[in-house]
Amino acid sequence: MIGAQELYETKLGPLPTLTGKPTHYCAGCEHGTLTRLIASALEDLGARERTVLVSSVGCSVLAHEYLNVDAVQAPHGRAPAVMAGIKRVRPDLLVFSIQGDGDAASIGLLELLYAANRGEPITIFLVNNAIYGMTGGQMAPTTPEGMVTTTTPFGRDLHQTGPPLDASKLVASLEGPAYVKRVFLPVTPTPSPEFFNARGALEGARAVRHAFEVQQKGGFAFVEFVSTCSVNWKLSVLESKRYAAKVLAPLFPAGLYRDRFGVEAR
Amino acid sequence: MKTEVIVAGHGGQGVLELANWLAYFHLVNGRHVAYTPSYGPETRGGKVKCYVVASDEPIDSPIVEAPDLLIAMNIPSLDYLPLLKSGGTLLVNSSLVQEVPGRSDVIVVEVPAIDLAAALAPYSPVPGKDTSIAANSVMLGAVLAIAHDDWAREQALIEGVFRHFLTDRKAAYIPLNVQAVKSGFEFTSRLEASSVASPAPPLAATAR
Amino acid sequence: MNADRDFLKGNEALAYGALRTGLNAYYGYPITPSSEIPETLAAEFGRGTYPEFRAFVQAASELEAINMTIGTAATGAKAMTATSGPGFSLKQEGISYAAAMELPLLIVDVNRSGPGLGNLGPEQSDYFQATKGGGHGGYRNIVLAPDSVPEMALFPSLGFELAFRYRMPVILLADAFLGQLKEDLTFPEVPAREFDTSWAVTGARGDHRHVLSSLHLELPDQSRHVEHLRSKYEEIVGAEQRSEEIATADAEVVIVAYGICARLARAAVRSLRDRSVRVGLLRPITLAPFPQDRLNALIDGGVRNLLVVELNSGQMVEDVRLVAEGRARVESLERVGGLLPSSGEVEAAAEDLTSSGDLRSALEAMVQ
Repeated sequence: MIGAQELYETKLGPLPTLTGKPTHYCAGCEHGTLTRLIASALEDLGARERTVLVSSVGCSVLAHEYLNVDAVQAPHGRAPAVMAGIKRVRPDLLVFSIQGDGDAASIGLLELLYAANRGEPITIFLVNNAIYGMTGGQMAPTTPEGMVTTTTPFGRDLHQTGPPLDASKLVASLEGPAYVKRVFLPVTPTPSPEFFNARGALEGARAVRHAFEVQQKGGFAFVEFVSTCSVNWKLSVLESKRYAAKVLAPLFPAGLYRDRFGVEAR
Repeated sequence: MKTEVIVAGHGGQGVLELANWLAYFHLVNGRHVAYTPSYGPETRGGKVKCYVVASDEPIDSPIVEAPDLLIAMNIPSLDYLPLLKSGGTLLVNSSLVQEVPGRSDVIVVEVPAIDLAAALAPYSPVPGKDTSIAANSVMLGAVLAIAHDDWAREQALIEGVFRHFLTDRKAAYIPLNVQAVKSGFEFTSRLEASSVASPAPPLAATAR
Repeated sequence: MNADRDFLKGNEALAYGALRTGLNAYYGYPITPSSEIPETLAAEFGRGTYPEFRAFVQAASELEAINMTIGTAATGAKAMTATSGPGFSLKQEGISYAAAMELPLLIVDVNRSGPGLGNLGPEQSDYFQATKGGGHGGYRNIVLAPDSVPEMALFPSLGFELAFRYRMPVILLADAFLGQLKEDLTFPEVPAREFDTSWAVTGARGDHRHVLSSLHLELPDQSRHVEHLRSKYEEIVGAEQRSEEIATADAEVVIVAYGICARLARAAVRSLRDRSVRVGLLRPITLAPFPQDRLNALIDGGVRNLLVVELNSGQMVEDVRLVAEGRARVESLERVGGLLPSSGEVEAAAEDLTSSGDLRSALEAMVQ
């Protein structure tokens, strides 16, 4: 099994779009995978020198330490607004953000939905790991029913908190977005303990590429990556992959919710 | 030389427009001007009041505490009468204000602005539409007459004022408004000519 | 006098002043009494009169507006947002980030009455919020205070110049009266200025990348950063204090007032001087940095009585007392709730501080 950290750092070799700095991401975390996928896509597009990353607040707060591109730091949840402000005056730049579920679907839901509704030509990658990772495991808007977090110590009670929020469906309910997709990113166990299915990473790579292409065509692109957080879920890496496949995959089904430009058809 | 004016009335009477026109008339005459619309608690209940200051020198305060001229478009506007400077002029819309409270130290000019405006139906851009809305322009004409302006000379300026404010669809109302100013001017000039005994109004010195 | 003069509301003049200084983007959320600013800009954006004006967005919230402004500022373009008190509070989060990331942007606050919803009348009660930082963390902004419609038109140019020179947010603090007031004005010719924007995000150039971040996880890094912000502001205090003085040379009493209060004070000074009462006016143009050098000089020159006139419950008066350090008597005349003092009240308050006023008070006390 190739761990996300290894994938990012060495196994597939260095990339000019990666700084090469070791990440702070935990073992098994999909943030590292996504970082690598983004770097690869930017190189395929030859876009490194016309790209601006807007760092959000959450585990992706240091994304600019790893991605070797220009970057602006946004306040918690406001990345879509900052991106819009860049893109409105510099449509030639490729602007994207990696947001967490708390950043995009809780404190920054307004910024996300309005940028989406206006169809701002920006690209947002949402890492949905169903918990607040950076702040130490509090309930997220996407936390499933019954999950124990530091602020739901007896399990998430939907009577008190309302049900988990589906960001992809919300975004796709608007007219503005051109591309909305949800990818299940973690590797999944197979009957053989030796092998894991890494299809999610392959689908993720395509989705990242498409999301940048859609922006270049002038559309709002949103990709949600269902991910794991073994440390805050208090599970081993392997258990967290199993949990994600069993609980998160049905709660947040992978799928293409919008493809206005038909980028997936080609 | 500085002139301070309070224009008062209620919503829909074109009070703000009248004050704007008056200010802009002074501006095109080469003066500094300041116009302050109603603000704060006074705007409640549909009361409208604004200040116009015109001066040859830069204006210190745009706030009018003791006007040289009070234009009262309705009865509640007379609340401001105590502020009027001694020797100042009260210009009242006598179509709505029949009884003017006494203040022997001011000049009172009564102009039936709504009646004069209503008589201008032939100038309406929309046939048959009531023209009493132009009462504010009638009052503007009255102000010019009080200041002893020469209508023949001012007409072009007044047309310029209306061209500045009444653009696009509103431009159709320029002839009506010019006519209303003329009507107010002529009515007020006749008033002044008939009151031979009255001394020259102070605004002859201050507004012009 | 220039015959080709405009006649505009303060808010409209500010919008045109910004356009004439090359505004690239405006983002705002409507709020009375500042809405003429976005309304004017929306019309000009639609007409395409100003080719450099490339973006206008009515944002969904004040937060969205300030963060879009941050995004545009990060590219080195000229970005502005405008609001009034309640919205100014909401923008503080973004202003703190912009200060930390050293982004040049212009924030207009047309101060209405508060706290809470308050009312739409003029106040100067956002003085603390504007001049002392306002958001979380330790930082200062430059704060400009116009007192006329011509200055509403002029200060966007000055604001952007200072914002880019020092790479920081500049706040243009007007009040509801100035926003709604209409005056004649002639737009000054603003020379096209090129600012250093080598720090802006434009895409990495080889190994050289531009990273604008307010995150300094290493404690000494954050300490150095805050020290840097502080020393930058100290440089500004040394170089950018701006004020206007009227009849201060021989004044027994100096009124300190800005914004609409300065206009009342001008009238009061003129009236008092007509009666040979020796009163002058110090009008801060930069509220931050506060014009402490001129105030100091006046006190050193013998002024022993200061009258602060402001539309709040006593805010700028604290800065005046800090400068006076007990060397001069500092009294204040305050109005809140959207109300203004009359120029007569300003006159009386100033005259009371003169020696003849003192004498009269003493005589009245004896009679009683």
